[in-house]
Amino acid sequence: MSDSNWKKGLREIVGAGQLLEDPILLDSYGTDGYTLEKARPSAVVLPADREQLHAVVSHLYRERVPYVARGAGTSLSGGAIPLDGAVVVHLSRMHQIRSIDWYNRVAYCEPGVVNRKLSEALAPFGYYYAPDPSSQQACTLGGNVAENSGGPHCLKFGVTLNHIKQLEVVWPNGDVELLGSLADFAESVDVKSLMVGSEGMLGIVSGIWARIVELPQSRATTMVLFDDVQEASQAVSAIIAAGVIPAALELMDPLAIEAVERGVYRVGYPPGVAAVLLVEVDGPAPEVKEEQSLITHLLGKFPTRDIRIARSAAERELWWANRKTAFGAMGLLAPRYYVQDGVIPRSQLPSALRKIGEIGEHYDIRIANVFHAGDGNLHPLLLYDDKDAHMVQRVRQAGSEILRMCLALGGSITGEHGVGLEKMEELTWQMSPAVIQAQWALKNACDPEGLANPKKVLPVGSTCLAELSSDVTRVK
Amino acid sequence: MINESCVHCGLCLSSCPTYLVTGVETESPRGRVWLLAQYSSGINIGETGLNHLDDCLDCRACEEACPAHIPVGHMVNQFRIASQTGAARSVVKPLRYFLASRRGRRRFKRLLNWSRYRLVQRAMSWFPEWIPPDALSLASGLPEKTGEVARPAMVPVKDGRNVMLFRGCVMEAVYGETNQKAYDLLQMAGARVVNPESQTCCGALLYHSGDTQALRDLVLENLTAFDESASGDVAVTSGGCSAFMKEYGDLFSPEDPIYARVVRFAAAVKDISDVLVQLGLPSLPVNGRRISMHDACHLAHAQGIRQSPRKLLQGAGYALVEMPDADRCCGAAGTYNLTHPEMARTLQAYKVSDIPQDIDAVALGNPGCQLQIAAGLNRQGREVPVRHTVDLLWEAYQGAKYER
Repeated sequence: MSDSNWKKGLREIVGAGQLLEDPILLDSYGTDGYTLEKARPSAVVLPADREQLHAVVSHLYRERVPYVARGAGTSLSGGAIPLDGAVVVHLSRMHQIRSIDWYNRVAYCEPGVVNRKLSEALAPFGYYYAPDPSSQQACTLGGNVAENSGGPHCLKFGVTLNHIKQLEVVWPNGDVELLGSLADFAESVDVKSLMVGSEGMLGIVSGIWARIVELPQSRATTMVLFDDVQEASQAVSAIIAAGVIPAALELMDPLAIEAVERGVYRVGYPPGVAAVLLVEVDGPAPEVKEEQSLITHLLGKFPTRDIRIARSAAERELWWANRKTAFGAMGLLAPRYYVQDGVIPRSQLPSALRKIGEIGEHYDIRIANVFHAGDGNLHPLLLYDDKDAHMVQRVRQAGSEILRMCLALGGSITGEHGVGLEKMEELTWQMSPAVIQAQWALKNACDPEGLANPKKVLPVGSTCLAELSSDVTRVK
Repeated sequence: MINESCVHCGLCLSSCPTYLVTGVETESPRGRVWLLAQYSSGINIGETGLNHLDDCLDCRACEEACPAHIPVGHMVNQFRIASQTGAARSVVKPLRYFLASRRGRRRFKRLLNWSRYRLVQRAMSWFPEWIPPDALSLASGLPEKTGEVARPAMVPVKDGRNVMLFRGCVMEAVYGETNQKAYDLLQMAGARVVNPESQTCCGALLYHSGDTQALRDLVLENLTAFDESASGDVAVTSGGCSAFMKEYGDLFSPEDPIYARVVRFAAAVKDISDVLVQLGLPSLPVNGRRISMHDACHLAHAQGIRQSPRKLLQGAGYALVEMPDADRCCGAAGTYNLTHPEMARTLQAYKVSDIPQDIDAVALGNPGCQLQIAAGLNRQGREVPVRHTVDLLWEAYQGAKYER
């Protein structure tokens, strides 16, 4: 297989303009939302539809060329970074909602459909797609499936996995198979669920049948302002302990507040506020009313600065936009950020926050906290300047230490951002060699040639670092 | 110039029309910021890189989406000017000739009127350097030439506050009637309208095409007109002009002797819909006509104006039928439809297919979009009128019984 041969084949499938080879274009695909590493793909191919996608994968299999699928490139663990000169299969042109099946309540979508576009298309009919990653305005369903994405409202409704009924998968050898079913029954071997969250290691999804649900009859969004982050995290525990499962329960600390207030969606928090807690309940109106009053009652026991209830849909949307753009707004505080994605038991929230503060102090790194408090999914944002090599080093160490702390508290190294390229070493802290071996067996069964998203997620040997190929540029 | 605030989060991607069309990373705002960063660090981004940068519509949708409000459109513009690149440079000569002087604008208007005749169109195509080929396809979107506007049955108020009506160049040449109707509506709303002869083109099209020379003279003329008018507000019927003039201040150094005047003028500039909302128009009963609103980029993304025209139209009795992605660029983007015809046509087709079937008119507030969308509807054989918000309002209030 000569270099030009496989490219010629791809060109024949997608048309000359849809195979990118210009070095500057290739380099623009060198990284995703995780900017600590980058690598150059050997080509970028943009299939127009499922037929082209299937042909592309079959062709790459015949030529034994590795590849990685990419949606919007918003991934935060480097999952879309092309290692081993992998071809980037960019699914951005496959963004059609093919059909909506109201009887079975599913939307059949191409993988490049933007998460929020689906909900926007459904809204006039009173429906929506529930999982709402904070990047939902840009991220794609294909990427959501690959990462099993969560989001603020996944506390009550579950993550992506709970909302995928059926998938069309093109396996690495080019075979196409439908996994799952539009009917509701438990399969004895649930292969569909294996695909969700497999980070592009097992194949590419070419069609998604996503569950659609009715918009809640009513909603109440409460914003609680605290003078102390510890108090806020204790309030979270109290709400959950009382048996209320809010639709969302989100917390921001002072540094995060500073960033979002400089951003485009300014709420105008009073000065000196140390924590903002967003609590949303939804459902039938009487239920919402009851839960809302229970929450207000519980919060009354804590020293809060202010409790506000959203008076209009516009106000609610502003509060959420303020929260959901927190990551991007970090650009206003520092040139780069490194976001961690650890999970801890909710009961440990106060002590975890304290420890993150200590780690930040120890490594002299500013850390902002924005997180899904309800399910204990922390997102410490470590601010740094990529031009300062020492600082980059310290950021990596601090990030690792936060994950160790999460594990020590009985949690996990990732909640929803995936392992990708970023946390391969950390995976060995959490999983035994046997468990990793079992996953390798699955990977090899689906992808014996190792073409799908090479050198990601599963470490080889004791740590992955020794195995990192030379084509990866570690930034500084 | 390169903004360091981009953290590569990618939230801008879905807002970008050229990314929607191509799906290519470097045709997205994030990709363009990245290209600019490469360029500034001395890396050769090549012809392809330059083209992808230049494909930016400057629609500013990404600037609204960016959590760190990185001004991608501005950055690309500044890059075009500094590096003397960009397809728009080819239109500088005709723009300067036709728009920057009163005589040129008269000739431009005459040319527009002639261009309705097929024979003249053919003759025009012999001078591609002066009349870009795609201008002719846009000519199908021109409004029917009509006679003088009937004076409205509206009672002017004698002691309202002074409002200067800014007519614009393309706006006045192509949609002069709309300006006349804006005058009437302002008066009806209780303003003393001043319409100084000395005003001129705002300079946006020229500046965005890379011509920074002509700008100062144009600004000076407009400042003089503004000072003469003794107005507190400048009401503008063209969204592109108001967006640009609101930012006049950024184009001059604070040391410049005219800086203070520029800033005062810029602060007075408002879109006509905002002025009318502020002054207040009487509300009319439902008139049974259904309209759909296209949000011009330079109103929606650049100025955050979405509600004012809707409020006015609904107040005047129209029923609003929203189209999907109403604020996605229609491809007009100043002279973009002349310099990047292929991309512009694709976006035009997207926009037209988003326009609902069962409506009586499309409403908007920018002449470029009006021409582009009308031409696009024509191309698909659809007979939906495309009207300025002001036109629709004027019609509703014309002869209607209302009380002030």
